[in-house]
Amino acid sequence: MTTERRERIAIAAAGLSTPIGHGVEAFWSALLAGTSGISRIERFRVDDLRVGLGGEIKELERIKSLGRVPDSRASRLLLSAADELVAQTDFRPLPLDPSRVAVVVGTALGGVEEGERALGGDRTRRRLRDALYDAPAHDLARWLGATGPAITVSTACASGATALAVGADLLREGEADAVVAGGYDILCRFVMRGFDALRSLTRDFVRPFDRRRTGLLLGEGAALVLLLREKDAGRARLGTLLGYGSASDGAHIAAPDPGGAGLERSVRAALAQADVTPDDLDFVSAHGTGTPLNDKIETAVLRRVIGTRAVPVNSIKPGIGHTMGAAATLEAIMCLLASRHGMIPATLHLEEIDPECDFDHVMGQPRASRPRISLSTSLGFGGCNGALVLEGRA
Amino acid sequence: MRAPHPRALGFLSARTSEAQAPRGADDRAAYSFGRPAPRQTRSRRATRECLLALAAVDAMLEDGGASRDAIAGERTALLYSTAACYAASNRSFIEGGGGIHFAYTAPAVVPAEVAIEFGVTGPYAIFLGGPPATLRAIWQAALLLESGSCDRALVLAVEIFEECADLFARAPRLVGRPLVEVAACLWLEPGHGRLVFESSRADGRRSRAIQADEGEMLGCGPLAVLDRWRRSGGKAPLRLSGAWRGEQARLMWDQDPAPSASDAHERKESVSELHGRGGR
Repeated sequence: MTTERRERIAIAAAGLSTPIGHGVEAFWSALLAGTSGISRIERFRVDDLRVGLGGEIKELERIKSLGRVPDSRASRLLLSAADELVAQTDFRPLPLDPSRVAVVVGTALGGVEEGERALGGDRTRRRLRDALYDAPAHDLARWLGATGPAITVSTACASGATALAVGADLLREGEADAVVAGGYDILCRFVMRGFDALRSLTRDFVRPFDRRRTGLLLGEGAALVLLLREKDAGRARLGTLLGYGSASDGAHIAAPDPGGAGLERSVRAALAQADVTPDDLDFVSAHGTGTPLNDKIETAVLRRVIGTRAVPVNSIKPGIGHTMGAAATLEAIMCLLASRHGMIPATLHLEEIDPECDFDHVMGQPRASRPRISLSTSLGFGGCNGALVLEGRA
Repeated sequence: MRAPHPRALGFLSARTSEAQAPRGADDRAAYSFGRPAPRQTRSRRATRECLLALAAVDAMLEDGGASRDAIAGERTALLYSTAACYAASNRSFIEGGGGIHFAYTAPAVVPAEVAIEFGVTGPYAIFLGGPPATLRAIWQAALLLESGSCDRALVLAVEIFEECADLFARAPRLVGRPLVEVAACLWLEPGHGRLVFESSRADGRRSRAIQADEGEMLGCGPLAVLDRWRRSGGKAPLRLSGAWRGEQARLMWDQDPAPSASDAHERKESVSELHGRGGR
C-alpha cells in the first residue's frame, strides 16, 4: 500500500448525547465511574423480543439553541449533540461563510423509524421525507445554517469513522473551511427486531473479550466533532485526526471475516496515512462488541499488527450499548478525552479474559495513563472495516 | 485533483430493457426490472437490488473486455451510492411478509455482495443521497486513486422503486416520474487532466430528473449522462451534474480523461459490443 501521508486535521471540539449522559463532561465522568446506561427499553414495544434491553436515552436533552427542531427522533438526537457542540464553539450563528461549512454524518439506520410510521398509517409527506436515511444530515445542516455539502455516509457500524474521514477530505481538498462530522443512530423497533432475529443480543451483561461473553446490546447516541485544518485551529483543540483506513472483507454480509484480513488492511492503511508505526500506538479503543467472533478476530488482528507489546485496550460498549452509526465517533472522542485527562476508562463487565482475547485490557477500574497516539477500530455489516488514528492533546 | 479515466461502464436501465418502450409516450409511474435470477446458491437470498448490482458489475466487465480477475483484490476500491434503494428491503422487513434476512436491510450490503462475488477487498465508502451523492462517490474515488490507495475504483449506483412506488407517489416534490430502475457500475482508473467538483445548497430546490424523457433515476442519473457521453464518442468535455434536497453538485473534467489513444480505441470497440447486445 502506497497511501501517502495527508494533512493533519484538528478536532477542535465535540458534542454528544448518550445513554450515560448528555455532553462531553457527563459522558466522560460516567465512563470513569463505570456507569451503565443499559436498561429495559420503554419507548416502544419489546415484550415479543428475546431481549428487551438496550442503551436507551430516556429523555432527549432539550435543544437550547433557537430554531425549528424536527419531529424525528433521529434528527432530534443529532441536533442535541450539535447543540452542545455549538455551545462550546460559538458556532451558531455560523462565524464564517455558511457555504464553507459542511456536514458529514454517518448512520446505519437514518430515519428508518419514520419509515415505520409512514408504513403504519401516517400518510404525511414529512414522514416520508424523514424516512430517507439522509434526512437527519439535511436537518442538521439546515439547523446550523450551513450551506456547504451535507453528506450522509452509511458504512453500517463503521459509519462514524467514515464520516470523520470524508470530512477531513473536504478540508484537505479545500471544499470547506469547517466540517461538522460524526454519527448517530437511535434505538427503534426495526433494529431491535433485526438484531433479535439474528440472535446477536445477549441476555447477560455485554462482556467484551471475556471468556463468558455471549453477545452485544444495542444503544442509541449521537456524536459530532468540529473538524478544522490544523493551521486554522486554535490551541484549545481536543486533538488531531492523523489517519484513516478502510477495507472490505468480501467475505460475508453479516459476519466478520474469520481471518480478519479486511480489518488488518484498514488498520495498516490508517497507520500509513498517519505516518506512524504500530510501535507508536499508546492505546487501542476496540470495536469490542462482546460477540464471540468479533472479539476473537479483533484480538488476532491487533496481535498481528502490534505484536506482543503491551498496549492498553478497552471497549466502551458494555455501558452504552453498540450505538451503531455513533459508535466510532464516540470512541474517537473517548480516545482524545483519555489523552486530555490522563485516564483510560475500563471495559465494564470484563472479569475473566478469554485466552483467545488476551491483551493488555483495561479492566476493573480506569487506568492512569495518558495516551498520545490512539487507534480506534470499527467493523460493520457487509464486511465494512474502518480504523482511525488519533493524536490526543494533553 | 487528477481526473480519473472512465475505463468502462455497466449501465442497466429498466426503461430500455423493457423492449425499448417509447419514451414520453406513456404515463407509467415506474419502470421495473423485476427480479433477476440468482446466479448461484449463495445469492439466492439476496435482495433484488443486490442482484442488480452484481449484474451491473458484470455489464461493466463486459464493456471493459475484462475478466473478474482484473478487479479482484485489495487494490480495487468500491464506492457505492444510492438515494433510496434500501427502502424496498426496509419495507419488506417492517411489514414482515418477505422473510428477509435483516442484514439485507443495510445499505452497506449491496456493495458487500459485489465485494463477496468479485473478491473486491480494497477501500470503500457509501454515500446516501441523490445525484450529488454519486458525484461525491466519483470524487472520493478520484481521491483514492490520486493518493495511491488503490489502482482502480468502482463506483456502483443502484436505484429500485417497484416495492415502494406507492410511497414515492406520495412525495411528488421529492422525486419526479416516471421512476426508472437503474443499476450501474463505473470503472475508474488514473487519467489525464484535472477534475473539479462544485456543490452548493439552497433549501427548497427539488430533485430533478436527469432528462424528462428518461425519467427519474435519482442517484443513477449522473451515470446515465456518462453513459450518453460515452455512446456519443466521449469527445465533448465531460460534465456531470445533479440536484437533491437542495444540493446542486457538478463534476467537471477539464480535458479528455482517456490516458492514451490506444485505450480510447479499445473503449470504443467495447462500447460497440455493448450496444450490440441491447444493453445500455
